[in-house]
Amino acid sequence: MSTVHHHPTDETLGSFAAGRLDEARAVVIATHAALCADCARAISDFEAIGGQCLEEVEPVAMADDALEKILARAGNAASVVLRQTPDAPGPEVKLPLSAYLKGSIDDVEWKRVAPGLSQSVIEAQGYRQGVLRLLKIDPGTEMPKHSHKGNELTLILRGAYEDEIGDFGVGDLADLDGEYTHTPKAIGDEPCICLIATEAPLKFKTLVGRIAQPFIGL
Amino acid sequence: MPQMEDHLSRVAQDGDRQAFAELYAHFAPRIKGFLMRGGATPEEAEDLAQDTMVKVMNKAKLFDPAKASASTWIFTIARNARIDAIRKASKPSLDGEDPALMPEEAPRADVTCELKERDARIRSALGVLSADQLTVMRLHFYEDEPHSVIAEKLDLPLGTVKSRLRLAFEKIRKELGDLA
Repeated sequence: MSTVHHHPTDETLGSFAAGRLDEARAVVIATHAALCADCARAISDFEAIGGQCLEEVEPVAMADDALEKILARAGNAASVVLRQTPDAPGPEVKLPLSAYLKGSIDDVEWKRVAPGLSQSVIEAQGYRQGVLRLLKIDPGTEMPKHSHKGNELTLILRGAYEDEIGDFGVGDLADLDGEYTHTPKAIGDEPCICLIATEAPLKFKTLVGRIAQPFIGL
Repeated sequence: MPQMEDHLSRVAQDGDRQAFAELYAHFAPRIKGFLMRGGATPEEAEDLAQDTMVKVMNKAKLFDPAKASASTWIFTIARNARIDAIRKASKPSLDGEDPALMPEEAPRADVTCELKERDARIRSALGVLSADQLTVMRLHFYEDEPHSVIAEKLDLPLGTVKSRLRLAFEKIRKELGDLA
């Protein structure tokens, strides 16, 4: 058994398999799947449904010269090189996330947004709207109570936090919908570093949270 | 349909054009149909189907018949080509060969076993879904529109679409023995 206890919902895994997630959430799910064999397996299963849909669909005739064009383009196959992501030092090596970071998590430039809370926004808005960021919560720090407009995925990369749902450690993923309100608090001795993807900005429940929001930029 | 896997292996070995033509004849019109069913215009679907087949040729070496069937592997390439197209449309400066997010190129030793077998079992697993669940499941894969749009098209509340989908995924994972 793996040590991961909290997983994405089947709906989220199925959306990833179908290619429906925004880029931000896709990075989080791909990273979780690299850490969680069970979810990697579920994604493969759901991709096989996609393969089955492809078999079942009504075929539509291609243009007369399509095969010729494809062969001409593929003919330059000498240029095909398998991309290799350079190995970064540290335990997060080779995660899909690595491709989005300039170095390892140790090299991230943090921006302090509130006492005990730092973040780093990651550029991942290539397709469909979404926000991807790393959040560092110092030990003992509690985030202001908030809910989300739309789906939010939080993957723990280092440390741990606890909230109304339970304890979250490395590899665990919280898959929360808009109605859910929570108050995560970092536990243990080291800062908790999370990778968070949101469909849309957070909604804070408290006045302090709402006042801080423009500064946090969430 | 083991011959499609054989064709792919021959393309991978020495770029066999005859084998590729067989793959093209079977899959290209299906990819085009798939994309049109998802709302693409015939022109967009034609272009994307061609892009996908170019990638199938160039990436054939990455195909592992122990991991997935040809149709599942080609589905993931078509899916990623559609994502690339959306990405290019929203950021024309990008070349579309950005760091890939999708697990297509990252086989994991611990999940590769029995995948081929599971691919065949997925077909029978789909058989346990109700007609309503199957409809929603298919649209989930074909359509590029959000679930709210699918709900509108089916004239159903969004919550109903989501719960049907959730139950369908759960049934399939149970059927495949993913879940205890």
